[in-house]
Amino acid sequence: MKEETGTSFLSFDGVSKFYLSRGRMLGGSGRQVVALNRLTLDIRKGEIFGLVGESGSGKTTAGRLIVRLEEADRGIISVEGQDVTHLKGKRLKDFRKRVQMIFQDPYQSLNPQLSVLDTVSEPLLIHRVGDRLSRAEMVMNALQSVGLSPPGDFVHRFPHQMSGGQRQRVAIARAMVLRPDFVVADEPTSMLDASISAQIFNILLEMQKSLGITLLFITHSLAAARYLCDRIAVIYRGNLMELGPADDVIQRSRHPYTRALIDALPKFGQCGETERFNTFLKAERESSSTVGCAFFGRCSIANRILCSQEVPPFKTVSPGRRVACFFAEEQGKNLTASKTCHYGI
Amino acid sequence: MALLEVEDLSIGYRTRLGLHRAVEGVSFSLEEGKSLGFVGESGCGKTTVGMSLMGLLPRNGEVLRGRVLFEGRDILSISEEELRLLRWKKISMIFQAAMNALNPVKKVADQISEAILAHSSSVSKAEASRQVEGLFQLVGVPKERMRDYPHQYSGGMKQRAVIAMALACKPRLIIADEPTTALDVIVQAQILEETRLLQEQLGISIIFISHDISIVADVCHDIGIMYAGELVEYGSREEVFDSPAHPYTRALLSSFPTLTGNREMLKPIPGEPPNLVDPPKGCRFRERCQEASHECSLISPAWTELFPRHKVRCIRFERKKGPQ
Repeated sequence: MKEETGTSFLSFDGVSKFYLSRGRMLGGSGRQVVALNRLTLDIRKGEIFGLVGESGSGKTTAGRLIVRLEEADRGIISVEGQDVTHLKGKRLKDFRKRVQMIFQDPYQSLNPQLSVLDTVSEPLLIHRVGDRLSRAEMVMNALQSVGLSPPGDFVHRFPHQMSGGQRQRVAIARAMVLRPDFVVADEPTSMLDASISAQIFNILLEMQKSLGITLLFITHSLAAARYLCDRIAVIYRGNLMELGPADDVIQRSRHPYTRALIDALPKFGQCGETERFNTFLKAERESSSTVGCAFFGRCSIANRILCSQEVPPFKTVSPGRRVACFFAEEQGKNLTASKTCHYGI
Repeated sequence: MALLEVEDLSIGYRTRLGLHRAVEGVSFSLEEGKSLGFVGESGCGKTTVGMSLMGLLPRNGEVLRGRVLFEGRDILSISEEELRLLRWKKISMIFQAAMNALNPVKKVADQISEAILAHSSSVSKAEASRQVEGLFQLVGVPKERMRDYPHQYSGGMKQRAVIAMALACKPRLIIADEPTTALDVIVQAQILEETRLLQEQLGISIIFISHDISIVADVCHDIGIMYAGELVEYGSREEVFDSPAHPYTRALLSSFPTLTGNREMLKPIPGEPPNLVDPPKGCRFRERCQEASHECSLISPAWTELFPRHKVRCIRFERKKGPQ
């Protein structure tokens, strides 16, 4: 199903990914874990799209399927109309030149034995871009654009000689040096100090603007997603719960899970009497993993019979706005936070 | 009298490059039943302060100066044996990366009852086990999961178990070092809420250490902002959040977005903290400060009292107040 406006750049069409829990491999009765359940969504050219959820929600899996660190078990992922779900060989390599990833942990995603120069020029070497001299120049430009300046001070450093924020900038430079069309940023600040996160966010915003990149930003914080993203999708245990323009999803959330994520954000400032939604059950109730709504076990507004038996359709509630909840239309309450209330990222 | 009184505490680490002055002249006090949050970037000395209160500085760490009075007794000068008796029974700690703080080959409940038995000889095994059951209930882990091993727990449950362990000997002070880092927003909110409730119910004093100022906002009565080993602002939660005085505090606060209104650009703090082997003279924040003036490199700012409890170390306030 296509969205109303904007050209789609990347689309998921009924994409599922399963993992087998360890038991099976050891000869026991392994359980199949559904990481993504028939994910269908479009990411538009040039936008920053946010995928928001807890750990285990499948958000990282979605990112890894795009850059083909893993392969989908069902469904189709396509980029500008071309099916890329199961690309192989040279076509996969060509595709990877266009699609890059920034990982969560810059303490682990950089090779400790490679200098910054080697790290950032590696993608250029792999894809045989330019000669030695022009590669060095591209590396310097990339470092400059992520704020590692003057770049000459950094090119010969090794990861252990840099702070976490500087390492993550190197990782961003490495992802950007090939001038990709699409970048997946998987919780790029969760291992960094809160005060450094804002730096990284601003670099991503600037990159996106200056290079016209389409960006998938994966996060567990709706506040971070609101700052960066044009549109947001909220995902719970592999199922899309809510989708729409960032401000709309946050300020006029309709899904109880989105509301639970808003309630959970730490906040400070002149917040006034921010009304809580209280849609998250403290104690999880018995629920089936195969029938009914994925959020049933945690939902305080669920209808015990309906929600435990039927999967709510991901229906359009207004143009560009979709919610997977039987009671979406009845959720009239909007976010009451003041403009001077700040939220954790 | 305050439960904990820290005066002019300075701590250094001996390194190959020289003495790393991790904590410099930190003073604060904590009343019974109150909570205090220390906030600052990595390397600002907040964890070192916490570790020194437990007598757990690494081998190359050394208290250079200062006093730590706990219940009126200077715990920096007592013997290792006396300190061992104090630890867990009077002061306990929730460590950073709690998921690694549990012994993987022991049942969670056994680890906690072990802590109880080690510190009170009068308690029987059965009584310890009853106490553990109570603790599990208190921190919200189902009783059925007591006999599980740590790997069978989720991240949030492990964190709760570690909190239960910290509570096991009914301490008067808990030091919680980044207790929610690496947890998800929803679990984090639950843990913070639980910490706050426990603190109120049991009247325990808590020192909460975090790099994230938004986290301490809901939990702490008082906030101390640390930068490059020094305390630069100190006050009640309301004072620090509603009228932040130090440029560093204001910079920290402006790194967080809102959910409504215009999307204002966040203003991150430029640059990196200074090297503490050879800390800069004058104000340590001046190189990253938007409001720094020539004088900031000359003299080290002294404390200025803004309100009886709200104080700040910034030369701009000294100037405003004028000579005393």
